[in-house]
Amino acid sequence: MPAKGMLLSSSPHSFTPINTPRMMLSVIIALIPASVYGVYLYGFQALALILVTVLSAVASEYLFRKLIKAKTTIGDFSAIVTGLLLALILPPKTPLWMGAMGAFFAIVVAKEFFGGLGANPFNPALTGRAFLLMSFPAAITTWTMPHGLGLADATSTATPLALVRQGAALTDVATYFGASDIGSLYRQLFMGYRSGSLGESSILLVLIGGLFLLALGVIQWIVPVSVIGSAFLFSWLLGMDPIFNILTGGVVFGAFFMATDYATRPLTPAGQAVFGVGIGLLTVIIRKFGGFPEGVTYAILIMNLATPFLNKMRVKKYGFVPPVKPAKPTKEAVK
Amino acid sequence: MLILQIIVEHVRKRFIPAKENFSAMTAKTFRGGAHPPEKKDRSSGLAVERLRDVKQVVIPVNQHFGAPLQPLVKVGDYVKRGQKIADADGRMTVPVHASLAGVVKKIEPRTQSNNLDGPCIIIEAKQPEPVDGVVESSDDFMPPLDPFTCSKEEALARIRAAGIVGMGGAGFPTHVKLAPSKPISYVIANGAECEPYLTIDERTMIERPEDVVEGVAITMKIVNAPEGIIAVEENKMHAIPLLEKAIASSPRTRAGMKIRVQLLKTKYPQGGEKMLITALTGKEVPSGGLPMDVGCVVQNIGTLCAMVEAFRDGKPLIERGLTITGGACTKPANVIAPIGTPVADIIAAGLTAVDDEALRRIIYGGPMMGVAVPNYSIPVQKNTSGVLFMNAEEAVHYEEETCIRCGRCMRACPIRISPALLAVSVETGDYKEAEKIGLLDCIECGSCSFVCPAHRHLVQKFRVGKQILRTIKQKEAQNAR
Repeated sequence: MPAKGMLLSSSPHSFTPINTPRMMLSVIIALIPASVYGVYLYGFQALALILVTVLSAVASEYLFRKLIKAKTTIGDFSAIVTGLLLALILPPKTPLWMGAMGAFFAIVVAKEFFGGLGANPFNPALTGRAFLLMSFPAAITTWTMPHGLGLADATSTATPLALVRQGAALTDVATYFGASDIGSLYRQLFMGYRSGSLGESSILLVLIGGLFLLALGVIQWIVPVSVIGSAFLFSWLLGMDPIFNILTGGVVFGAFFMATDYATRPLTPAGQAVFGVGIGLLTVIIRKFGGFPEGVTYAILIMNLATPFLNKMRVKKYGFVPPVKPAKPTKEAVK
Repeated sequence: MLILQIIVEHVRKRFIPAKENFSAMTAKTFRGGAHPPEKKDRSSGLAVERLRDVKQVVIPVNQHFGAPLQPLVKVGDYVKRGQKIADADGRMTVPVHASLAGVVKKIEPRTQSNNLDGPCIIIEAKQPEPVDGVVESSDDFMPPLDPFTCSKEEALARIRAAGIVGMGGAGFPTHVKLAPSKPISYVIANGAECEPYLTIDERTMIERPEDVVEGVAITMKIVNAPEGIIAVEENKMHAIPLLEKAIASSPRTRAGMKIRVQLLKTKYPQGGEKMLITALTGKEVPSGGLPMDVGCVVQNIGTLCAMVEAFRDGKPLIERGLTITGGACTKPANVIAPIGTPVADIIAAGLTAVDDEALRRIIYGGPMMGVAVPNYSIPVQKNTSGVLFMNAEEAVHYEEETCIRCGRCMRACPIRISPALLAVSVETGDYKEAEKIGLLDCIECGSCSFVCPAHRHLVQKFRVGKQILRTIKQKEAQNAR
C-alpha cells in the first residue's frame, strides 16, 4: 500500500509546461531586437530610459502589492513587459523621471487598480504613454534624429508623419531623411533609420519579433493582420499613401505588440477581427483629421473599450442548434 | 539555441504532417484539441497477460450509466462464474455478473473507482463441491448465439444479458446504444485511444484484430449499417496492417460487408465520440443530441471484443483488459483481470509492480479524464481502462493563478465553448449566460485545463457548474408545473 497519503485532484492530471512567466519572457525576447536597435540609434539615453521604465514598473507593482497586502506578482514578468513596451513607444529623449512616472501610472493606475494582470480594461503601456502625452505634451512630442551610440547632443527634429501633416510631400520627406527617391525612402523606413519613438522605427526588427511570437503561438495572426490590413486599406481610401502610412509611426509595432495584449483585446476570433479593423480605421482617421500626427495609441485605447462587447461575438459551439422560435400566432388564430 | 530549437519544433509540428507510411491514407482529425505527452512507449510493446487464480473480487453493484441495481444474491450464497448477481428493471439498466466462482462473503459499501462509496458484492473464490464424484463446471455461461441469424431483439437481449456497457469510460448501456431510433450509416470502432499512457486498445487491436472486425460486423448487423470504420491514431499505425489483414480474411467482409480502417491524427481528444465522428464524417453531433442523430454508432475496442465473446462463447462481461503504468510503476503491464479484482491483487500476483516510496498519485483511467483515488485496493470495473501510478514528477498540482486571457483554452476546446468566457460566467454565478455559451455541452475532456498557462482549474469549475445548472433547471421545471 502507498507509503504516504495520495494526491487527490480533479482531472486532468497532466499539464503543459508553458506558463505565464514563460509567455511573458517570450514577449521580452521578441522585443530585444527592436530595443537593441533603439539603443544603437539613440545611445546611452535610450538604454537609460528602458532601464528606468522597467525598474519603475517592477518596483511600482511590487510596492503597490505590498501596500494592499496582496501576493507579489512580479515573478510573472508582466511588469517588465509593460515597462519595456512603454520605453519603446516614448521619444528617446523623454526625461527619465517622466519615464518612471509613466511606468508607475501604467502599472498602478491602469493595471493594479483594476485587479492586476488580466483584469485591466486598457493597455497599461499605452495608458502610461497617453498619460504622459496629456501631462507633458511638449516633451512627449520632441523627437531627435538618430545619432548613434555617442553622447553627442541630439538635434531636435520632426517625425515623418509630422512632416506630412505639416503639408510636406513625400519627396520632401525623402530629402529630409537623406533618401534619393520615394522607393529608397520606403526602404529606409522599413529598415528604421528615422526619427520616432525609441523602439518602433525599424519595421524589419518589429516584424522579426512579431513573427517569433506568431511562430511560438504566443500571439495569433488575426489582430496584427487586420490592424495593418485595414490601416493600409483606409489610408488608400482616404487618399493617403498607404505604404508610407504603414511604415511610419506605430502601426506595425502597435499591431504586433500592443493590440495583441491579452487582457485588452477580444478573445474571440470574430471579435479580434472587428477590433483590428477598428484600430486601423481609427488610426487613419486620427492621422487624417485628428489633432495629432499619430493616432495608434488612441485608436487602440478606444478599441480596448469595445473589447467586452466584442467578446460576445463567439464562435458557434460544436453542434450548435439554432433555438426554435415559437411560431407566431397566425392572423386567423388571433381573430 | 534553446529558443531556436523551440521555434523549429513548433513550426515543424504545425506545418509538417507526421511521417506517413500509408501514403494512400490521409490522417483525418478535428479542430482544436491539445497534445499532452503520450507516454505510451513503456507499455505499448507488452503483450496482454491474463490474471489467474484470483482469491477475491469486490464487484460494485452499479457499473453503468443508468438506474441503480438490486443484488440478487445474499451473503453465504454459492455463485458460479458468469452467474447474474445484480439486476433491475428499466431500459437503462445492465446486470452485473460474478467474475469468480465462490461464496458471497459480504455485501457492503466500498470505495469504487469514481472515488465514491457504493454497494459491492464481495466474493471469495471456492471450487464447487463434487456431487456424486462429479465436479460440476464452475462456469455459468449462456448458450452461444449467432448474431447474424438471430433477430435484432434476440441480439439486443443477449447484449443486455451479458452486462455489456461502453468500456471506454462512461459506461453507457450498449443495448441502448445499439437500438437507435434513427437510421445508421456508420459503425465506428474507436481505436483512437487518445488518452496518454493507455495502450490496452492498441494491444487488443494487435493481438485480436479478428475479434475487433467481428465486433464491428455484429454491430453493423444489429443497427443495419452499410459501413464500418475502424479508426486508428497515427501513433498506432503498426496495428493497421493487422486490422486490414483481419478485414480481408473475415467471413463477414467476404459475405459483402463493408469495413475499412481509417487513419487519424494523434491529437487529444481524438477518441472523444463527437470528435471522432467529426473527423470521420465531417458532421457535428447536434448539441444535446446523440451520435445516432448524424447516423453514427461509436463502439470502444474492448466493448466490441466483449460483444464477440457474449455471442460466440455466451460469456458475460466479467473481465476486461487494462493498462497499468506510470512513473512509479516499476513493471508496466497490459492485463486482463476479472471485474472486481482489487488492483493490489494484480500487484500481489506479480503481473505488475509499484514503487510505494515514489508513488504520489493513483489514477483509475487516463491522465486527462481519469479519477485520482486514495489507494489501489479499489477494484477494476467495467469501465476501468487503466491504472496509473504517478511519481512526484508526474503528480503535479498547481495553484490557480489569474487568467491572463491568452485564449489558449479557446483554441484547444474541441467543442468551441470559449472556456475563458465560460469560466467567468460560472464564477460570477451567471448560469443563464453559462448555458448560452454552452456549459452543458462541455465534454470535460480537460484540454482547456491542460493548455492553461495560469493553471486554471477550468474543467473542475465546469463540472461543478453543470451540476448547479442542472439543479437550477430542475427547479425551474418544477415551478413551471
